[in-house]
Amino acid sequence: MTEEKKKPEQSGSEKKGLGRRDFLQGLATVPVLGAFALALSRDLSYERKRKAQAFSHARKRTGDVKEVKIALLGAGAQGQVLMDACLKLPGVRFTAVCDIWTEYNQRRAARMLDKFGHRVNAYEDYRELLAEEKGLDGVLIATPDFWHAEQTVACLEAGLNVYCEKEMSNTLEGARKMVEAARRTGKLLQIGHQRRSNPRYLHCYEKLIRETGLLGRITSARGQWNRAVQEDLGWPQRYEIPESVLHKYGFNSMHQFRNWRWYRGLGGGPIVDLGSHQIDIFSWFLGANPAAVIANGGTDYYAKTTHEWHDTVMAVYEYETRDGIVRAAYQTLTTNSSEGYFENFLGDQGTLHISESAGRGGVYREPQAPQWDEWVRQGYLLAPEKAGQATRADAVLDVRETIAPDRHDIPVIFNDPYHMPHLENFFDAIRGEADLTCPAETGYETAVAVLKVNASIEAGRRLVFDPREFHI
Amino acid sequence: MSRPIRSVLALFWSLSILPGFLHAQKLEPIEIELPKPMFVGTPQNIRVPNLEKPLGSPRPPFLAPAGTKNVALGKPVTSSDPEPVIGELEMITDGDKEAVEGSYVELGPFLQHVTIDLGTAHTLYAVVVWHYHKQPVVYFDVIVQVSDDPEFKENVVTLFNNDMDNSAGFGSGKDLHYVETAEGKLIDARGEQARYVRLYSRGNSNNDLNHYIEVGVYGKPVS
Repeated sequence: MTEEKKKPEQSGSEKKGLGRRDFLQGLATVPVLGAFALALSRDLSYERKRKAQAFSHARKRTGDVKEVKIALLGAGAQGQVLMDACLKLPGVRFTAVCDIWTEYNQRRAARMLDKFGHRVNAYEDYRELLAEEKGLDGVLIATPDFWHAEQTVACLEAGLNVYCEKEMSNTLEGARKMVEAARRTGKLLQIGHQRRSNPRYLHCYEKLIRETGLLGRITSARGQWNRAVQEDLGWPQRYEIPESVLHKYGFNSMHQFRNWRWYRGLGGGPIVDLGSHQIDIFSWFLGANPAAVIANGGTDYYAKTTHEWHDTVMAVYEYETRDGIVRAAYQTLTTNSSEGYFENFLGDQGTLHISESAGRGGVYREPQAPQWDEWVRQGYLLAPEKAGQATRADAVLDVRETIAPDRHDIPVIFNDPYHMPHLENFFDAIRGEADLTCPAETGYETAVAVLKVNASIEAGRRLVFDPREFHI
Repeated sequence: MSRPIRSVLALFWSLSILPGFLHAQKLEPIEIELPKPMFVGTPQNIRVPNLEKPLGSPRPPFLAPAGTKNVALGKPVTSSDPEPVIGELEMITDGDKEAVEGSYVELGPFLQHVTIDLGTAHTLYAVVVWHYHKQPVVYFDVIVQVSDDPEFKENVVTLFNNDMDNSAGFGSGKDLHYVETAEGKLIDARGEQARYVRLYSRGNSNNDLNHYIEVGVYGKPVS
């Protein structure tokens, strides 16, 4: 693998040109000085920028950005996140919202959008929305997973482009129908694995792994998402949804409606809600789908009656990459938040530590690996913080351990809402100005990889993927 | 009178009067009932200049004269946004500090304010505000004022101001941004006497909306 990678250019040689397209694709190629300047300017102009963004909707019509008209299905917590991000993007106009919790989620979304100058029609049933709303360009779907397939297929067949939150469906059958509908209609279907559009992740994949092979031969990967203990979500009694409405939309109680992620048949549990994002990164960065997985898990802490999916999951994937086997361990805990969430890629030349959280991340050179000075000079990495030195007089160097590596920062700063670039990619694709970073087929491959974890737990053994499973 | 002479006289007054005042006003920690910590979901990146470092431990007790209590409890609230996105204004003084649906009011975007009418003049020792502590969030242009004028045109005292670029027009604030927690933000009211308490904010690090779960005003009626 490494011989195909770009070699560091020598000092004095012609520097690599950094094109406008690269810059626009998420600042992935900003050279180090540019990154510093960008960071500095962002800090200095933070207040001004934030306030300017708040008024961006007023500028939408005056800019040269083609307006995209959208509707939101599902105005709960994730729908709110998507709305917040969209309101910071020029040229996006909400015209309708849909949520079955009419007295709370729906009312809140409609009023909020109204205060930002988006006059929207509000619906309880998405079918009514599709029948009434004309002139839509796209739909954002942030409803519970078990609604994704039906709603996505209906929207695509109504001629609309769709951004659907992950997991694209709670069943592979549903996910398959979504892919087929996208192909049949020729409409866009973006799946909400938003890291695929994150400039930091793009830089790490494009520059550090694919272009330079900085990590050497990747032999293993590790990821986790640990969360502290949480109580079940409640609801204001005065805004309770009538039982008949809950039943109409597939919920047997208000508790189940509010905590659907834990219920079989509705969601997939934390491995799907959280792990899906990071297992997607495993496959993306390794350039392969997994060959096998073995997993263990269970509902060990919470009540099984209300937490039908596992609160604790540990899985080990095997990837057969063109450079050899890579074993990738993943865990999600919902009883302890230690070390939060991240993904690690470990190669014989270095380690990449990355997280969606901007406060985490770094690249570590193995002591025996060639120096990375030239990559630093070219802006692929920031200069290292020296490590490996004992700082305490009484500290003892354990000769059985390899000396600690230097830590390099990733030279791309990203402080915007996490979903903003992914949504922007979707809207740009609608305008014909970009290709989707996570089209239906990619989302399907990730769904195959992720849903097999729960299957392995149920089976109590290692499960092998047939490569044909990933393709439709 | 020159400034040095005034300063000396003020110091003399403080040294001679203050001990007697403190003796007469027995100080006790004010009792603030705290809600459950509620950091859930995926916090967005927070990169905010002039951000106060977390204390890393519970807030030290805040001393105030004996008998000080939350005099805002159940008091009427008005707002620059009379039609909140969700929730009702009375939630701000209903004593419910939990960061759950149905416990907070969400006001519209940009600069918004709420005003609490304490009914009569009070001597105020602390204002404690919980904007929204379900996630680690920073609110911008947080300004807390007290006055005996419901319009806040006269006799206005600013207790807290972190509007560093004076975008709200009340002067540049020197106070730091801070991350919302279940402890709420305690602002020293310095014994000011007022009937009305007004709080401004201009969005937060997640979005441009403004939220209040609860505001406690700790003081005693002016006798």
